[in-house]
Amino acid sequence: MSLQQVVAPRSSSNGFGRRRVEREMGTRLDSKPQSGKPNTISFTNAGALNGGEVGGSESLSRDRLIYLTTCLIGHRVEVQVKNGTIFSGIFHATGAEKDFGVILKMARLIKDGSFRGQKSLFDSTSKPPSKTLIIPAKELVQIIAKGVPLSGDGLANGLQLEKRQDIMIDTLISQSHYVEVERELERWTPDEDDPQLPELENIFDGTWNRNWDQFETNEALFGVKSTFDEELYTTKLEKGPQMRDLEKEASRIAREIEGEETQDLHLAEERGFSFHEDFDIDEETRFSSVFRGLDDSGYEESEEMTFGSRNTEGFGGSSGSVISRSFSDVARGKSNDGAQVSSSSSSMDDTQSSQSNASKDLYRSSSSDHTKQLTSDSVSKSLSALNGESRLSENQFRERHGGKGYPTESAEWKTLLVGEEAHTSKSEDLQSSVNMKKAVSDKGGLSSSATAFAPSSVSSKGHENTILGESSDSTGSGKLSGATQAVNSRGRPGSSTSSTSECVGAPSASAGLGLSPSSSMGSLSSEKSSLNPNAKEFKLNPNAKSFTPSQTTLRPPSPVSEGSFYFPANMSAVPHMHGVPVGIGIAPSFGHQPVIYNPQATPMQAPQAYVQPNGPLYGQQMILGHPRQVLYMPNYPPEMPYKGREF
Amino acid sequence: MAMDASYGDEFAVGCFISIKTALGDEFEGQIISFDRLSNMLVLQEGSKTGPRRNIRLLQANYIKEFTILGQAEDPLDLKKCYLDLASLQAREEAAIRQAEMEAERIGVGVTSDAQRIFDALSKTLPVHWDKTVIMVMSEVRVCSPYLPENVTGGTPAANDRVKKVVMHIDTRI
Repeated sequence: MSLQQVVAPRSSSNGFGRRRVEREMGTRLDSKPQSGKPNTISFTNAGALNGGEVGGSESLSRDRLIYLTTCLIGHRVEVQVKNGTIFSGIFHATGAEKDFGVILKMARLIKDGSFRGQKSLFDSTSKPPSKTLIIPAKELVQIIAKGVPLSGDGLANGLQLEKRQDIMIDTLISQSHYVEVERELERWTPDEDDPQLPELENIFDGTWNRNWDQFETNEALFGVKSTFDEELYTTKLEKGPQMRDLEKEASRIAREIEGEETQDLHLAEERGFSFHEDFDIDEETRFSSVFRGLDDSGYEESEEMTFGSRNTEGFGGSSGSVISRSFSDVARGKSNDGAQVSSSSSSMDDTQSSQSNASKDLYRSSSSDHTKQLTSDSVSKSLSALNGESRLSENQFRERHGGKGYPTESAEWKTLLVGEEAHTSKSEDLQSSVNMKKAVSDKGGLSSSATAFAPSSVSSKGHENTILGESSDSTGSGKLSGATQAVNSRGRPGSSTSSTSECVGAPSASAGLGLSPSSSMGSLSSEKSSLNPNAKEFKLNPNAKSFTPSQTTLRPPSPVSEGSFYFPANMSAVPHMHGVPVGIGIAPSFGHQPVIYNPQATPMQAPQAYVQPNGPLYGQQMILGHPRQVLYMPNYPPEMPYKGREF
Repeated sequence: MAMDASYGDEFAVGCFISIKTALGDEFEGQIISFDRLSNMLVLQEGSKTGPRRNIRLLQANYIKEFTILGQAEDPLDLKKCYLDLASLQAREEAAIRQAEMEAERIGVGVTSDAQRIFDALSKTLPVHWDKTVIMVMSEVRVCSPYLPENVTGGTPAANDRVKKVVMHIDTRI
């Protein structure tokens, strides 16, 4: 139906002519519905010819009519015709200008106005709806439509609702098409005649004293015998002479507990304490919402837990145990610089602890991993892997050295890492990188390597956490006694620049991670997936220098199965994460070309000691091409316990 | 009332009017529009509750008598009146599809009793019409008069199930 039909004005004589035409068309339609051939075209055309605007006001009214009828398109309407019959159908079109006929789609006869139809419709058989029903203007009496969106926004809303109705078959079945708009909610107020808490006291008081036994009633009415026996469901109560005393004791304890003062809003409500804070808390908070307190300590715990466990698992069971221990070992003396330290340390450990194979594999896998995917994922993974490795090696290292004076492995991570490495308890070493570096230097001869490793690392604390540089690694390893293997392993990471760095980062990250949860370390050593209660907390070393690997030819990583390498991502966020995203300056092109990280002289202000293996999941921010060598730090809120995440 | 007169003077937009039609309907509403040319009076019924209204288009010729109840302002906010033809067409198509789906469920030439039984069965079983026979799960047939004994066909299990449902249609607990 054309909305804008400007037609020449007509005189009444023409009007008569029009009527005649329409009457002819009207005759085609019987009073009974039928799937008529759509006469739309001719009808409309006739209408178009005949329609016309007579005057300004009439054009306005005509416009309104056209607008309103257009609003009806697609809407279910009821149309009454001259003989009283009512049809229900989907509004499709109206006649053009002057004469107002209607076309319905899928129309059904609702009420038969003819004489024949007066008897009950129940006996009559149903008929299929007509695909198209044309009602000429002459027959039309009225059109009734309910819930028509008239204004623009209503139209939009309506369409949305219609769309939803298409899918929500359930509501269609149970409800009418009219969807209630949201209503203004009012607070409930009791009526005047409502007694306060009527009969509540009576109802629930002394339920065991009431004269009505439900079981009796049930049995009497329905013959249902109750077979309930309390002792089937709970421990049998020994009703002995001590019963009374025990009961007294129990109620005393209960009273004690219930009378306790509490900060919890809901508990206070239950116990009847008026909450001593201001009463401005809204009802929802008072009675409904769940109280979520930020428990930092708990969080750290969990973090450490997950971290520890993850590392353990991630290690592919190669080390399986004493991950934390090994880690500390690694940190201690593995002579790795900082982050890289972790990796390097692990490598060192390997060499030293003749676990080179394991570590090598780890490195290989990590490097290969890295090559495969230069993403934070791999980084983190490698890191975790390396961490595990380093830990393992550390363990072995420790063992080798007969646990020389290493206090509770977990005990002092920082000291271990720092001190061990550099024989100086530099607490700041906690940053994995730093510690690692210390360890490297510790190794003697490694200091140079350490230096090489991390331009900023080595003895200087507060170096930025850097990714292990392959070169440094290799150098370091070379210097290490029996570090041949280490070299190899180091070189491995270096082979793939990104991977290397990632490897480096990983260990450092892991080192950092391991460091922070001292408890986790301890537990790690003792059990596979529990925290080390003795592990010292990791403290970020703001002075840790970042590690800059130098470019070296790197061996292509040998293929390693992914499974052996990846840790399940159970690492929780580092509790000490300052929330500063530290990006690894990893160039987007990964391949096998070594990536050179320009070490920054200025130490990172908020260096993050470790790389979150699960970084990608947490939206780690990769700062590409960042000139500074920073440790990749996933940016996620500290409250996010990273538990049970699997890669 | 004169059948051809233009009631434009009386049918001012915004008027509250009470009407009795020649067919016996009585209602009240507010005039949204009156088109003299086609003699169509558009009324808005009920209280104005948001954008959705109940509309009645009445051919003024069939007005038997009317009373002006009062005068108010234009119920249509002209500033908000705009149309989206595409969405209207989409709505129509959706409605037609919906109606077709519903039409499938209605048997042709069956009694309303049969239809009732069909509807009850369709709540839990997949049913469709085959002329005047209810087909359940495409294998069990229920013919007129749609009693449990009229359930035939299908595997014994399916048959029993349909029998039970038919039995309980009217004695639902």
